[in-house]
Amino acid sequence: MHFYKFVSSMTTGLVLLALIGLASAVGSSLWPENFFQAWPFRLLLLFLFINMALCTINTSTRFFRHRAKISKNWKILFRSAGLLMLHAGIVLILIGAGLYSYLGHSVQLSILEGDTVEINKVIPVDNSFSLKLHTFSIEFNADGSPSQYYSEMEVLEAGKTALAKTVSVNHPLVYKGVKAYQSSYGYLTDVVVQDGDAAPKTVLAQDGDFIQFADTTRTVKVFKYIPHFDPEIGLETKSMEPVNPRVVYSVYEGTELLGVGAAPFGEPISIDENVSIEFKQVRPYTVLTVKTDPGLPLVTTGGLLLMLGVCMVLFGPSSRKKEVSSVHDN
Amino acid sequence: MTTEHRMIDIVLVLYAAAAAGYFISGGQRWLGKVSFWLASIGLAANLIALVNRVSLSGRLPLSNGYEFLLSFTFITVLMYLLYEILSENKKASGVVMLMGTLLITAIIVLMPQQIGETTPLMPALKSPWLTVHVITAIIAYSAFTLAAGLAIIQLRNAISTDDSAIYKIVSAGFAMLSLSIVLGAIWAEQVWGSYWTWDPKETWALVTWIIYAIYLHLHRQRGWRGNNARILVIIGFLLVLFTFFGVNYLLPGLHSYA
Ligand code: HEM
Repeated sequence: MHFYKFVSSMTTGLVLLALIGLASAVGSSLWPENFFQAWPFRLLLLFLFINMALCTINTSTRFFRHRAKISKNWKILFRSAGLLMLHAGIVLILIGAGLYSYLGHSVQLSILEGDTVEINKVIPVDNSFSLKLHTFSIEFNADGSPSQYYSEMEVLEAGKTALAKTVSVNHPLVYKGVKAYQSSYGYLTDVVVQDGDAAPKTVLAQDGDFIQFADTTRTVKVFKYIPHFDPEIGLETKSMEPVNPRVVYSVYEGTELLGVGAAPFGEPISIDENVSIEFKQVRPYTVLTVKTDPGLPLVTTGGLLLMLGVCMVLFGPSSRKKEVSSVHDN
Repeated sequence: MTTEHRMIDIVLVLYAAAAAGYFISGGQRWLGKVSFWLASIGLAANLIALVNRVSLSGRLPLSNGYEFLLSFTFITVLMYLLYEILSENKKASGVVMLMGTLLITAIIVLMPQQIGETTPLMPALKSPWLTVHVITAIIAYSAFTLAAGLAIIQLRNAISTDDSAIYKIVSAGFAMLSLSIVLGAIWAEQVWGSYWTWDPKETWALVTWIIYAIYLHLHRQRGWRGNNARILVIIGFLLVLFTFFGVNYLLPGLHSYA
């Protein structure tokens, strides 16, 4: 009984809170990368969870045992209910966060325009479905800075459309426990390669890829797609808008750099006798953060309880302190 | 010098004059009154600067460090003047007005390039959750600033043991900080898919929250009333300052645009 009292006491709770505060302050300064995932810190959180869970159970049994007495004074009732909600809310948040760290998943998923991805290939889910990207687009402000990124997505189940949704920043897609968030984007370039007498072929190049040829020992590096090329600025794009789209490329002989160019789309570039390339078009891909979090409903409920409870207690009708604490005294 | 620069300078001068007036008044009633009016006119100027900002940018003044500080100072001085009127107690005025002056100075020294400039919001910042997150943070920070001002005066004068005003103000601030942290987490979940990443801003806000939670428990359950409680309130305020300035200017993080 002594042990139980110690484990569930407020003093223990406050000491744990102080330790967690201290550990967070020191840990985030010294080891910002991994301190909070390390076991000593998790152990502290686990202790706090146990302490607060027991403390909340104690408070609620007391609350219901003294219900008759408490309910005579609605102010005390209101405050006690608020206190219960507030502390229970924190307990729920700790449970939900624990569930995420052991059962949740989060991955970055790139999808090229027109492509479809089976969701259980990237993240374990019970009922799999497919995500298809129709188009990716960027909306711009007057000054050329991006104002929103849009991925027009379709959810497919057994080949049929289950949901059509445009994902943008702050507007994730939610389907059967899976959430997908607009995270990033990029471009692949269609390069038409004319290599000797063979028929031209098209390769899909990512920034940084090398293209090799049969008819020459030279190689081409597709360095970077630049949507708004400005010779004054060089390799950085002036804005994200495709005002003057170019592809910066470089040509090598072995390791020797022969030249660098910024090619517009649709113009053949001669690399050597009989060998040329042409940048045909860029194809955008979207990068989504795809997440499953079985703890999220608990965390959300806990957060709402915490917000409501804290307002009930601290902004609610202030009953005289003596009366209130007498109900809660051990 | 844009009109906006001039407005900020006027606010600064009025707040500084009010602080100086309070400090040298030494209980002289007429100087105390003059200072009160200087502070009130400063508050009106602060409001005009905010309204001007809104009309320039077409949105609430909450989206960069400069706008945050301007709103933060406004709410702090507003709360203080209401407190002074209600409590008829002027003792903390010099300290609080000095804090207001320093906050405005921080705008001029640390973020001069943001004055008179409006840039479009980046996509991540376009969220009603963010708006309520920042509004509640500003109210919380203002309450903690005022509470610390009162605590400093009580600590120095070591007279009245009645710290019920501090307790009430910290309570309100704590409730607002709790809302702010939860609302911020909701926003982060919507925009990045994770409600808590232990980035420095979140971590230090949590440390601040914990300090005030400890204060509230000790005050109520253990009857902490004296200087120890006041020192906790002041430590909490230093953490508020570190969460804002330290994290934004000394440490890298997701919030570095705020
Ligand atoms: C981060 C964690 C916590 C937060 C934010 C929190 C918040 C609060 C708040 C705001 C109050 C009202 C205080 C007042 O009216 O001045 C309170 C009261 C209380 N808390 Fe906590 N608390 C936390 C952790 C704990 C822990 C760990 C325990 C015990 C194990 C605990 C037990 C109590 C008790 C017994 C009361 C008093 C109820 C009363 O005054 O009638 N709290 N808490």
